Amino acid sequence: MSYMLPVEMESIDNESIHEFKDEILSIPEMKAQKSQPIQELGEGSFSGGLQAKGDDKMWRNVVCRSIKTVVLSNKLNMLMPFGPLAIFVHIFTGHNGWVFFLTLLGITPLAERLGYATEQLAFYTGPTVGGLLNATFGNATELIISIYALKHGMLRVVQQSLLGSILSNMLLVLGCAFFCGGLVFQDKEQVFNKATAVVNSGLLLMAVMGLLFPAVLHYTHTEVHFGKSELALSRFSSCIMLLAYAIYLFFQLKSQKNLYVPLNEEGSQNEENSDDDDETPEISKWESIIWLIIMTSWISFLSEYLVNAIKGASVAWKIPISFISVILLPIVGNAAEHASAIMFAMKDKLDISLGVAIGSSTQISMFGIPFCVVIGWIMGRPMDLNFQLFETATLFITVLVVAFLLQDGTSNYFKGLMLILCYLIVAASFFVHVDPSAADEAGT
Amino acid sequence: MPKMGAIGVKVDLESDEEIPFSSSAATNKVEALDFEMVHLPSRPVMPNSWIARHIGMRAVRSIYIVLLKAKINMLLPFGPLAILLHYVTGKHGWVFFFSLLGIIPLAERLGYATEQLAFYTGPTVGGLLNATFGNATEMIISIYALKNGMIRVVQQSLLGSILSNMLLVLGCAFFSGGIVHYNKVQVFNKSAAVVNSGLLLMAVMGIMFPAVLHFTRTEVHFGKSELALSRFSSCIMLVAYASYLFFQLRSHRSLYNPINEEGDNDQDCDEDEIPEITHWEAIGWLSVLTVWVSILSGYLVDAIQGASDSFNIPVAFISVILLPIVGNAAEHASAIMFAMKDKLDITLGVAIGSSTQISMFVIPFCVVVGWIMGEPMDLNFQLFETATLFITVLVVAFMLQEGTSNYFKGLMLILCYLIVAASFFVHVDPSNDAN
Repeated sequence: MSYMLPVEMESIDNESIHEFKDEILSIPEMKAQKSQPIQELGEGSFSGGLQAKGDDKMWRNVVCRSIKTVVLSNKLNMLMPFGPLAIFVHIFTGHNGWVFFLTLLGITPLAERLGYATEQLAFYTGPTVGGLLNATFGNATELIISIYALKHGMLRVVQQSLLGSILSNMLLVLGCAFFCGGLVFQDKEQVFNKATAVVNSGLLLMAVMGLLFPAVLHYTHTEVHFGKSELALSRFSSCIMLLAYAIYLFFQLKSQKNLYVPLNEEGSQNEENSDDDDETPEISKWESIIWLIIMTSWISFLSEYLVNAIKGASVAWKIPISFISVILLPIVGNAAEHASAIMFAMKDKLDISLGVAIGSSTQISMFGIPFCVVIGWIMGRPMDLNFQLFETATLFITVLVVAFLLQDGTSNYFKGLMLILCYLIVAASFFVHVDPSAADEAGT
Repeated sequence: MPKMGAIGVKVDLESDEEIPFSSSAATNKVEALDFEMVHLPSRPVMPNSWIARHIGMRAVRSIYIVLLKAKINMLLPFGPLAILLHYVTGKHGWVFFFSLLGIIPLAERLGYATEQLAFYTGPTVGGLLNATFGNATEMIISIYALKNGMIRVVQQSLLGSILSNMLLVLGCAFFSGGIVHYNKVQVFNKSAAVVNSGLLLMAVMGIMFPAVLHFTRTEVHFGKSELALSRFSSCIMLVAYASYLFFQLRSHRSLYNPINEEGDNDQDCDEDEIPEITHWEAIGWLSVLTVWVSILSGYLVDAIQGASDSFNIPVAFISVILLPIVGNAAEHASAIMFAMKDKLDITLGVAIGSSTQISMFVIPFCVVVGWIMGEPMDLNFQLFETATLFITVLVVAFMLQEGTSNYFKGLMLILCYLIVAASFFVHVDPSNDAN
């Protein structure tokens, strides 16, 4: 939960930054990681790396310890073998359905470890850059998959998987968190910081606006240059949205420290201090960077196979591609965030749950999507913000429902249940939805 | 007489705290009791020879209490008159008009019988009763229309009922209450309103997806996908409604206490909660009234198309505006009355609770009934109606979110309703399948 060196823990100032980092920019994997037994070896490898005696045995120990800490300590990593297995299946059988499924399973632990590495690196870089790191790499998995799909020209898959990630975060993850938290704390109403939720809702609505105009322009056939205007508008809007996101980060990190203090901070200070006594990072700075690079390459590698297998899986399992992109991909991609949001809700730390769920949605809608448009621009792909009317309408109504439910700053199990049921309705709609522009997905 | 007023108010407060959508509780109470009522609970043992006479007296007394007390029952003769007209003249316009008038008192008495029965069953089952039968009239009319295959009429009349409750009834209540209490701002319980708004938005979501799917022609199996999706969404909405009832009646009852409950001394003198008719009488009357309403609904539904032709107004206007105004007349009156007594939580319970009930229970219920009957009733309300519902829910949710009311909000809602009514006056239904 902190981005600072242990020495700075005592300062009150940093405490408040520390608190509000928790809510806004915390990566979920970091929280999950805190509940794991902290390896004492972390200290050892830290000092071992620093001393650099040039002894071969020492380096080998460092590497072994590092691998043990990063790869073997987390239970989720049992899913790791599925990655190579998927590659095997792809080469030997070419059965796209299984390749897709196994790749999905293989990516899940990698995504989680990527978050872990990011958080470890954030220990060394200080709160500001740490927050930025989190804000950028928090959804690195979705971004990597999207960039691969972009490269293959599968524009609709990009749009739909990002949309699905937003929907899944706002409805499913948040709903499960509210529901579980409400069931555990039945006698009282859980509260969270209204101001954060309202700002995030505002950003989400702005993202909806950015997506709505190209779609409506296209749909009413009222653009100046048919086909080209929406692309130009989308690129311009993306730059604006990226600017808004940058200012939002600045707003969070610099000027509004006091706004984001969680409601029951005073009472739970002691509790949090005793929980998070150890803020020593578990791996050294260079190890974090190296692991970050390794995880990113691994995920890229697997994403290649994943994206290639989508069409085949859709044919093999007889479900529409939009359902796979909007519902299946994000559920798996968000699995780790999902678990941590639920866990924090059950510990009555709703602000953190909200930070995970809604913060992630905001990040994807105001950073992930415009970023992909800009990348597409650079690559020469006509990726735009026109998500077609059905998807845009879905996003619009979803943002409205969630904004309304969040605005009074309280939560109970019924709100959670409503969100989950809404997600079921959305999933059912996509199950019977055929994408009109499916011809775009000429997988090259 | 003072006792009469006291009972009325106290009873409604009781039932409405737990059952935010009790329909015509208030109106009944105002008309109700006289000294005879005091004798009802005590039943002295009588010799056999007198039992027959006693039952006869009871029946007469029951009829007196239920049928002849309420002033609104002056409209009762219009029912048989409508049937007479149907067979004698076949003039659909008049048959429609008279059936409407005839149903009004029956709807009100049906609500009264439900509330009386709720006395005997305890708060929980009473709440459930109210939640289910609160809009029994609309449900009966809809099922008749479904049976006749008039699916658009069903959709439009239910939609109109939601719109009328949210805009007209609520608007009139806020307006009247605001004028009577113009020197202060009336408050109501925010969290109940927020939960209801959330449910209404969820209903809009359930209705929007089939409509947008159909409209953008992106469904997998044309014509069949929306039906399957509608049926699935309806089941989900029914589950949500059931959990909502559970949430209200069991776990979060404290959430629904009216705001100025503590300081209200009027309630202290409302001790008497004696029901006016017995348990079995209530059930009996419930059945009798339901049968009556069903019979009249049959004639009403048959006469819609003819009335539309003879009055020269679109069927959509009749279904969306006229039918619900009449069907909600009793609720309308009681909501206004409670707003003027500064009991806004009850008003909200009547108005918004009724809208929630129709959108999350009656509409999915009709889809399921249509499924059983084999009628292709779905949640695709066509784009115009869906857009109307969407914007209306947004407007109302925004107005309710801060928990205060004044006459201007009420006026805004009423004027919004006029705009909606005008829109439907010039709206021709593209898929008019009236038989």
